[in-house]
Amino acid sequence: MKKQNVRTLSLILCMFSYLLVGAAVFDALESETESARRRILEQKRNEMRKKYRFSEDDYREIERVVLQAEPHRAGRQWKFAGSFYFAITVITTIGYGHAAPGTDAGKVFCMFYAVLGIPLTLVMFQSLGERMNTFVHFLLHKVKQCLGCRRTEVSMENMVLVGLLSCVGTLCVGAAAFSHFEGWSFFHAYYYCFITLTTIGFGDFVALQKKEDLQEKTPYVAFSFMYILVGLTVIGAFLNLVVLRFLTMNTEDERRDAQERASLKRDRGNQCREHYCEETCFAQTNQHQSGISFCACPNKLFFFHVMLLVFCLHVSLSALHAKRECISTGTRANWRLCPKVLSLYFQQEGF
Amino acid sequence: MKRQNLRTLVLILCTLTYLIVGAAIFDALESKKETSQSKDLRARKEDLRHRFNLSTSDFEKLENVVLLLKPHKAGLQWNFAGSFYFAITVITTIGYGHAAPSTDGGKVFCMLYALLGIPLTLVMFQSLGERINTFVRYLLHHLKKCLGMRRTEVSMVNMVIVGLVSCMTTLCAGALAFSHFEGWTFFQAYYYCFITLTTIGFGDYVALQKGEALQEKQGYVVFCFIYILMGLGVIGAFLNLVVLRFMTMNSEDEKRDAEQRALLAHKGQTGSSITCTVDPASPSSTGCSGGNAACGNSGGAASRGLRNVYAEVLHFQSMCSCLWYKSREKLQYSIPMIIPHDLSTSDTYMEQGESFSNPLYSNGCVCSLQHYSGISSVSTGLHSINTYRRLNKRRSSI
Repeated sequence: MKKQNVRTLSLILCMFSYLLVGAAVFDALESETESARRRILEQKRNEMRKKYRFSEDDYREIERVVLQAEPHRAGRQWKFAGSFYFAITVITTIGYGHAAPGTDAGKVFCMFYAVLGIPLTLVMFQSLGERMNTFVHFLLHKVKQCLGCRRTEVSMENMVLVGLLSCVGTLCVGAAAFSHFEGWSFFHAYYYCFITLTTIGFGDFVALQKKEDLQEKTPYVAFSFMYILVGLTVIGAFLNLVVLRFLTMNTEDERRDAQERASLKRDRGNQCREHYCEETCFAQTNQHQSGISFCACPNKLFFFHVMLLVFCLHVSLSALHAKRECISTGTRANWRLCPKVLSLYFQQEGF
Repeated sequence: MKRQNLRTLVLILCTLTYLIVGAAIFDALESKKETSQSKDLRARKEDLRHRFNLSTSDFEKLENVVLLLKPHKAGLQWNFAGSFYFAITVITTIGYGHAAPSTDGGKVFCMLYALLGIPLTLVMFQSLGERINTFVRYLLHHLKKCLGMRRTEVSMVNMVIVGLVSCMTTLCAGALAFSHFEGWTFFQAYYYCFITLTTIGFGDYVALQKGEALQEKQGYVVFCFIYILMGLGVIGAFLNLVVLRFMTMNSEDEKRDAEQRALLAHKGQTGSSITCTVDPASPSSTGCSGGNAACGNSGGAASRGLRNVYAEVLHFQSMCSCLWYKSREKLQYSIPMIIPHDLSTSDTYMEQGESFSNPLYSNGCVCSLQHYSGISSVSTGLHSINTYRRLNKRRSSI
């Protein structure tokens, strides 16, 4: 099978295995807490309903109004500062959802805005990231010269190490800042920075949502915007260094194949046949250089990925089975944690 | 100023301007409705409070309970199907937030999961997108042949049109399906599909949240997952076609500059003046033979064996010849948008020829610079494999 096809199929299989394993682990980690918390909240709700004598309809009405009013709890979201924040979440594809366009015109404009803005932002971050990498490369080279190192060339490992350090540094700085300004724990602030800078953007933690922060604390607002944009650049630089080459792999291989076909067509002489062997030899060693060697036996690799998928299925199914067993035999290991966690949780929410 | 720096500065300015303009327009569109809605809801809350004789603190407690119960309204979120849905939103970076890990262990695992999963997914979608594009190109080519058209090469414009049409179709198909299953209007469902497939993922509209769908409607659940993944594949293919080349522009320019510097350094070292014959009629081998001699001299200095160097030079010669012939074909056509069937990179050489002020290019001898850089790299002791790889990377630039 063609190299690019094998690569694509292997990647698809990898992703599916990864999703299955992830689903099983999240299930194991979160299901118990979810059921327990739901039970306690529903209990509390029923208590309140009895206490204030709500009918079913009454409660539904209250629920509807409260849920509709939720986005307004954090103050005005659509003044200039809030809209700028929203525009950032659109074109960087973070998309918290803390504010989402309510009018139809807003939704339409949002879609057009994204169509042009997202590619612009992608290209901008990669461009700036590459510039940063070149600058860091230059700095490292000078540092190595100053330190009197024997070899002053900057290797890929050096660059990757510096990249990783700067990413972790960015996350920690953000975590320290947001835990101070938003009153979150360091871990929650770190989680917020991570989810933001990977552009996942759940929206469970969102900065600038404490009452009227967007209107009043202008320096903090400016800091937040700067942090998000600079942080995305640092992550973008790291992606540019490590991941971008893999994104163009299939295209490069197609071009190489096309050139081989063209050169075979044009030079049908011995010369061509002679160095075609050299070419394939080069091509194979080339792949090895690029870090993913698919040349050896493509079908073997495919088979390996099928086995990996089967293994992952097995892992996920056994995780599920273990969980079910745990519930049925009543050995709820983390029920011990549950009351404590939930009481802390309720304290936090002001019960 | 260096071209890459200028490009980067322009892009930064463009993005900042775009943000400011967007913010102003969103402000104009949404502020009024927000103010009126906020006032209205506050009045209704007060009204309810008075109706049930609740104190402010009691009402706040009730509000808190209602808000905390919100994620649970949609049913169990963390059984296997729900967790799979969540895992998809993490590694594709959609991130609705309809369900977010509440335990600390869940948060930690989520971060580690994303760390490995996001690059894997990026590479997978680009890989799949490139395969889709190649297949579409092949289909279009055969379609053109069947329709008996004069020129059967598939141009970039053809590909972009097909890409746009397939994106629109994907969005509309999803909109139809979700408006039916979720009870949204067509516009709301289209908006949902768009926000999902661009991976923004606000979470204001989320599928599989009505009527215990995650538990009971397995067929619909499977359809949703397949739709999201395939839709992302289609969008990824379009991005691969249109945007990816711009993301590698700066790197390509840096490499080209580095090679030029190496070439100049080599010229300074050896003092040899390798010229390329300009005569288009003569076979290109004469153009490259001068270089061959120089290579023969410096072959001994190369870190690899003489045999590999010789083979490499032969390879370059044949590359030279076929690319030279291709560039001649392009000049004859003089229609800028048509790209030859096998999508070789001679089009990139045409564009390079336009942008470079290098006198070598103005003669139309596009292969020479590449050939020289190959020789200079060999003679400076660089690994020949890296040369080959770097040259290939250079060819892929626009």
